[in-house]
Amino acid sequence: MNSGSIKHLIKPLAIRLSEQTTLAKSLVMVGHPFDRRDFLKVLGWGGAAVALSGCGNGSVEDGKETVVSYVETNDYMIPSISVYFNSTCAQCDAGCSITGRIREGRVLKLEGNPDSAINRGKTCGLGQAGVQHHYNPDRVRAPLLRTGNSGEAITWEKAYALIAEKMNGVSGEEVAFLSGGVSGHLKVLLGNYLDSFGCKNHFVYEAVGPAVLRAANKKSYGVEMPRFNINKAKVVLSFGADFLGAWVSPVHFSQQYAQFRKGVDGQRGVLIQVESKMTLTGANADRWLVVRPGTEGILALGIINALGAHGVTLSGDIAAAVKGYDKERVSKDTGVSAEQIDKIVALLKERTPSLVLVGSAAEGYAHGSQNAAAINLLNQVLGNVGKTVEAAAVVPFPQMAPLTGNTAALKTLNDGLAAGKYKVLFSYAANPVFTAPGAMKFPDNMAKAGFKVVFAHYMDETAMQADLVLPLDSALEDWGTQVPEYMAEGAQINIQQPLMEKLHAETRGMGDILLALIKLRRAEDYKKYDDYYAYLRAAMLQNKNALGGGADDDTFWTETLSKGIIKVAGTKQILSGKVSAAGLSLPTPAAIDAQYPLQLIPSVNASLRDGRHTNQPWLQESPDPLTTIVWDSWVEIHPKKAAELGIVEGDIVEVTGKNGSLKAQAYLFPGIHPDAISIPLGRGHEALGRYAKGYGVNPFQILDTVFDKETGELALHETRVKVSKTGSRVIVVKDEGPVGGKQMGKKIAVRVASDKVKLSEEV
Amino acid sequence: MSVSNLLENWSDFRHTHPVDDVPHNPYKWAMSIDLDACSGCNACSVACYAENNLPVVGKEKYAHGHSMHWMRIERYWDEDISTEGGRDFPDQGAQFLPMMCQQCEAAPCETVCPVGATNHTPDGINSQIYNRCIGSRYCEANCPYKVRYFNWYDYPTTDNVWPAEMNQQLNPDVSVRGKGVMEKCTFCIQRVTVAKNNAKNEGRLVHDGDVQTACQQACPTSAISFGNLVDPKSKVHRQWQAQQVELNKDAQTKDKAENNEEGGGSKEEGGSLRGYRIFEELRPYPSVMYLERVRESAV
Repeated sequence: MNSGSIKHLIKPLAIRLSEQTTLAKSLVMVGHPFDRRDFLKVLGWGGAAVALSGCGNGSVEDGKETVVSYVETNDYMIPSISVYFNSTCAQCDAGCSITGRIREGRVLKLEGNPDSAINRGKTCGLGQAGVQHHYNPDRVRAPLLRTGNSGEAITWEKAYALIAEKMNGVSGEEVAFLSGGVSGHLKVLLGNYLDSFGCKNHFVYEAVGPAVLRAANKKSYGVEMPRFNINKAKVVLSFGADFLGAWVSPVHFSQQYAQFRKGVDGQRGVLIQVESKMTLTGANADRWLVVRPGTEGILALGIINALGAHGVTLSGDIAAAVKGYDKERVSKDTGVSAEQIDKIVALLKERTPSLVLVGSAAEGYAHGSQNAAAINLLNQVLGNVGKTVEAAAVVPFPQMAPLTGNTAALKTLNDGLAAGKYKVLFSYAANPVFTAPGAMKFPDNMAKAGFKVVFAHYMDETAMQADLVLPLDSALEDWGTQVPEYMAEGAQINIQQPLMEKLHAETRGMGDILLALIKLRRAEDYKKYDDYYAYLRAAMLQNKNALGGGADDDTFWTETLSKGIIKVAGTKQILSGKVSAAGLSLPTPAAIDAQYPLQLIPSVNASLRDGRHTNQPWLQESPDPLTTIVWDSWVEIHPKKAAELGIVEGDIVEVTGKNGSLKAQAYLFPGIHPDAISIPLGRGHEALGRYAKGYGVNPFQILDTVFDKETGELALHETRVKVSKTGSRVIVVKDEGPVGGKQMGKKIAVRVASDKVKLSEEV
Repeated sequence: MSVSNLLENWSDFRHTHPVDDVPHNPYKWAMSIDLDACSGCNACSVACYAENNLPVVGKEKYAHGHSMHWMRIERYWDEDISTEGGRDFPDQGAQFLPMMCQQCEAAPCETVCPVGATNHTPDGINSQIYNRCIGSRYCEANCPYKVRYFNWYDYPTTDNVWPAEMNQQLNPDVSVRGKGVMEKCTFCIQRVTVAKNNAKNEGRLVHDGDVQTACQQACPTSAISFGNLVDPKSKVHRQWQAQQVELNKDAQTKDKAENNEEGGGSKEEGGSLRGYRIFEELRPYPSVMYLERVRESAV
C-alpha cells in the first residue's frame, strides 16, 4: 500500500467510458417545488451558523431560548409544514433507504424511500425506532476519560492528544481495531488510517451475521451473497432462514414474499420451513417442519436422494454423496416423517422453479458448513441456480464494498488480547463484552490491552471497560456512504445525511473522528478537508462521471443528496455452475447427553438482534411476534417437555450448561423441538441505558465455545443445557390473552385452504 | 340521558350507517387487510407509536394491562395444538391478525358514552374528542374488539415516557393525551385531514393513494390497504366489491355460503371469497375487511 495516497479519490477514475454514458442516461432529474439546492446547503453544512429553528434543548419556557422572528425565512421554511430528506437507515446493515419527516427543524418520523430497490418505501419496526436512537436520553454526550473507577468528561483536543500520546512508539502490530460491518467511504478512511501506521489488525465482528452462509455460498455458487428471488419461486424450502424477521435483508424479502404469495403465473407460492425453533418466517409457512437440532443437512440430502428415486437425474458425485440417505434413515435421524418427505419431493418436482435457503438455524453447528453445503446442493439439483439464485450486481468500486463481520474475527482478537499482543485497542459498532460467550473471558482479555478506546452512542458494556469513550453522532446526524451487502436489483450506493442539527454539541461523526485521527499521521494529505463532509463531497465529486453526474458539481451533489441513492451500473458477478459434492459428509446426530439433555437455541429477534438497540423503548414494548412477551427474556419450552419436568408458564427456571447458568421465566411454546429450549438474544444488559439495563438475561454469556470446523465461526446452537425449577413463579408480561392464543371457536383470524380460493381473480 | 328518552328516540342515537338521508359523501374511509400477506412482523405497530405519540408504559404497567398499542398483532394457534388428542406442533404456522379500531358504522362504543365524546364523523370515522372525554370507560367495556386504551396515568409527566430529547420526536399534528381520557386508532386522521385540505385547495377530491395511514406506509408486505370506500377507483372499494363485502349488511355472500354449506347446501356461490369482517354477527358494521389467510393444501 502506497503510504499517503488517498486511494479512493484516484481509483474510481479508471471506470470505463461506456459505463459513464449509460450512467448519465439513467440519471433521473428530480423536480421539487422549492429550490432544493438552497435547502440542502442549509441543512448540510452551515454547521452552527445556520439555525433550523426549534433545535436545541433549551426551551422558551425556561428562558434558555429566545424567540427571534425570521426577517427573511428560507423559502422552504413554513411553520407547520413538513419537509422531507432522504437518507439511509443505520439500524441494521440491510441498507434500506429512508425519508425523514422534518418539521421546525426536528426529525419526527422515518418512512421508507420508494425509489430504493431494497425496501421500496417500506420499513420494519427496527427501522421505525431509528428516531429513538437519535433522541435517546442515554446517549454519551462528551468524551470520557477513565481515572480509576470514575469517568471524567474531557475535551476533544485532550482526547486526540491522549490518543496521539498513547500511540506514540507503538507499532502497527500492537494496535487492534475492532469494528462491526463497514462500507463506503468510512471503510476507505478507516483502512487508510490503519495503513498510516502499518496496522493490519482490523477485526470485523458481527455477533449474529450469516458468516457460515457466506463461506458456503462462495463454495456452492462462487459468490458470497447471490440474489435470492423469492418472488420468482413457486416453492420456497427454507432451512431456518428467517427472511421475514432478521435474515440478511428482511424488508426486501418481505416484499418479495408478498409477491410470492400472490403467485407466479397465478400459482400461489408455497413456503416450507424446516427448523427446530419456530421463527417468524416459520410461523408464516404452509408447512412448518420441526427437525431434530442439527439434522437440517441430513434432511436436505434425504430430499435429494428421494428426488433421485423419483426420476430426477443426479450426477455421479451427488448420487454417491446422498447414497446412504434413504427415507427411513433420514426420517429416523431428523424426526420428519417419510410421508412428509414424499410430499415435499412431489411438490418440488411439480412446481418449478423453487428456491432453497440456508438460515442461521442450519449454520449454527460444528458441522454448520457441511449443513449449508448440503442444503445449497439442493438448489443445484433442482436447477434453481441461475433462476431463483442469481448473481447480484456489484458496485464497481471494490474499495467501498462492504467488509462483513463474523465471529471468527472475534476469536482471533480475543486470542491476541489474551496473549498480550495489543497495547492499544479501538472498538467501533460492536459490543463484544456483551456478545462474546462468557467462556471466552473477553472482558479479562480486553483489560490486558494498555489503552482501550471505544467509539460509542451509549455507555454499553464495552464502553464501561474503556479508558477513553468517544461519543458518536447519531445516524440521523451524520454523513456517510453505504454499500449494502445484499444488492436487490441494480447496484446502489446509499447516502447518509443529517436529518437535523446535532442534539449534543460534543458528539462527533465517526468519519470526522477518523479524519482527525488520520490528520495526526498524515496531515499533509488530508489538510484540504475541514471535516468528513468536505472529504465525502470531494470524493464523490472526484468520482462524479462514474456516478452518473454529467452536470456541474453543485447540481450533481444536490441531486445525489436529494435522492439519497446513487444507482450505478454494477458489474455482474458470475455464478459458478456445477459444484462437486465429493467430500460432503455429515455427522450422525449425537446421542442425547445425560447431564445436559437439551439443546439451547439462542434466537434472534427481528427488533433486538444482538442487543445494540435494546435501549429503544418502542422495541422493548413491541411484543415478540411469536410469544407476545415484552420487556423481558423467557425460556421457550415445548408443552410436552414442560409437563415432563413439571414446569408451567411463568415458572422461573434455571438453565445450566457447562459454561454457567441463568434464570428466566418459562414460556410454553408449541413451536419448538421437545429436546431444545430457546432464549432470545438482545436482552440482559448490565449497562446501555435506562430501557435496557436490568431487563432479562443474556444467553451469550452461557454459550459453549464450539466452532464450525471449516470456517471457525462460533456455533451458536451447539450449547447443551439442563433446565430445573427454582420454585418461584411470575406472571409473564405479554400481550396474548389468558387462553394462550386460542380463538375459542370465534371467527377472528381465519384460514382457508389454497384449493378453495382464486387469488388470480382478486384485486 | 334517560333510558326512556334513549328508547323513544333510538334512531337518533344509533344509526345503521349509511342512513338514507345522510349517505357517505364524498368520503367513507375504510381498510382491508390481507392476512395471507401479513407476516406478523410488528412494523405497523411501531410505526403507529411513532406517528401517534403513543406512550411506552413500561413493564409494570404493561403487566397491569395498560399497554397503549392502538395497533397490535394478535397471534393465534390452531385450536387443537397442544391439547389432549390434538397436534403437538403448529405445523401450519401461526395465525397473525393486526387489530385496531374497526371504525364501526354502528359503533357499540358510541351509544354508551355519557358525554358524547366518541362520535361518528361524516366520512365514517369513529372519532374521539379528548377534551370532552370524562373517562367513564364505558366505551372500552362495550368495545367487542378491545381496541380502546385508557390513560390511567399522565404519561407526558411520567418518568421516562418522554424524557428530555425524546419529547422532541412527538408529532405536533397529534394531541398528546393526558390522564383520564380514552384513546384509540383514528385511521391517522391527521394525515386524512391534510390530504382532504390539499385536495380541497386544488378543487378536487382526495385521490386513491393521496393518503396512507402510518401502519399501511410501513407494512413491508403491503398487507394493508386504506382509502375511500365510496370512490369506485380506490383499491379498497375494488377489494370490498370483489369480495362481495358490503358495509351495511350483517351477513356477506361468503358468510351465507358457509352457512349454506354447514346446513348441507352447496358452497357454489361465494365459495372462493376470502373477505370477512370480524364479529359481523354483533352488527357493529366494521369498516375493516380482512382477507383470510391461505394455506397450501398439497403439502
